[in-house]
Amino acid sequence: MADIIPTKTINECGKICPYPDVDTMTTLKKMKKGEFLEVLIDYPLSVERIPRSAEKQGHKVLSVKQVNGPTHSILIEVLGNK
Amino acid sequence: MTPIISGLFVGVLFGFALQRGRFCMNSAFRDIILGRDFTLFKALSVAILVEMIGFSILAFTGTVTLAPKPLMWGANIVGGLIFGFGMVLAGGCASGITYRLGEGMMGALMAVLGFGLSAMMGATGVLNPILKSLQNTKIMTADDKPLTLANMVGVDLKIAMLVLAILIIVIWAVLALRNKSAEKSYGEKAKSFGEAVFKKGWKWLPTGIVVGLIGMLSFPLSAAAGRNYPLGITGGWVNIFQSLIKWQTLVDDKLKISALNWEGAEVLGIVLGALVAALIAREFAIRAPEPKILLQTFVGGLLMGFGAIVSGGCNIGHILSGVPQLSIGSIVGGLSIIAGGWTMAYFMFIRPMNS
Repeated sequence: MADIIPTKTINECGKICPYPDVDTMTTLKKMKKGEFLEVLIDYPLSVERIPRSAEKQGHKVLSVKQVNGPTHSILIEVLGNK
Repeated sequence: MTPIISGLFVGVLFGFALQRGRFCMNSAFRDIILGRDFTLFKALSVAILVEMIGFSILAFTGTVTLAPKPLMWGANIVGGLIFGFGMVLAGGCASGITYRLGEGMMGALMAVLGFGLSAMMGATGVLNPILKSLQNTKIMTADDKPLTLANMVGVDLKIAMLVLAILIIVIWAVLALRNKSAEKSYGEKAKSFGEAVFKKGWKWLPTGIVVGLIGMLSFPLSAAAGRNYPLGITGGWVNIFQSLIKWQTLVDDKLKISALNWEGAEVLGIVLGALVAALIAREFAIRAPEPKILLQTFVGGLLMGFGAIVSGGCNIGHILSGVPQLSIGSIVGGLSIIAGGWTMAYFMFIRPMNS
């Protein structure tokens, strides 16, 4: 799984609630099936909420990793919107 | 225990739980319409149910005297709506911005500054006349008591709270058993109980129970300090801002911090508790959004502060502390906060996302 290179990376660090979630969802909507989105995010609530929302939209959450301090990397496989 | 120690103690516990549970009512309500996510709403509901039972037991044993807020419908509605608009702009409710200050978020700091300033102006300053006129819409019972769901139907308040809570829990449990769905968690699993408590975010059920128990604990401690009410936020920030203004007099007075009251200490405790929780979990960092958003959170804070003072309570005073006591004023205030929040969230996020 470490070999996956994200098609796109969005940096949502520092943003306030719920911009990281809204940005992730709108970006996912624009992406194609089979692509990978990486979300860099340091807001704890969204670190937990983005994976839930992404799966609800029919995408697959591959990993959630704490990279540096509060910053997490969420890797999502785009599987089309339910 | 002095009021300051007691307030700090409750606040630190509350701040710790808020940070670990990511407990924010702005998100709790907004997520229902934005993404159909009920996680935080469920945590809030559990907290209210625990408090209904807890406050009722405290009242039965004579530990506290219940203190539902009076109905001032004009003020509750107008203030609640303004508060609801504000919390969406600010990116958090009164408790949300307070605990995120402890996480090092500068957007929350700007919101808190706006919130404290306008609440203080509403409480004592130039905005006070507007508040007075809106609060003229007060309606009490025939024997001059605050209206509650209980006295509207002629039942004893503590019995009504207990019965209603048990009824809701039974219905909820039945519904939950029928649609059983396993909750998924992402990322690495906690390897020990300590790690689950200190390093990972809490799930909605433990979050709700812990917040409810802290609410229960706060009532007698706050009452012992002469403030007969459970958790609050708005009054605390007003107190802190007023203490800061009087700082010079306090220094001259050899720092006898008599200006800080129980609620002020509780709010400081929340920031401290959240800071400790965030540090342990490696979730603390000083960070800021772009300047435009900082201005937006400040304006949101201004609206929230004024709204809370007009309405007679913020989301904590009304929803977390007032609704469990079945206060009609708090129910009207709380519903207005939700209505304001949903309206603002629709125009800011839902409509742009769908177009």
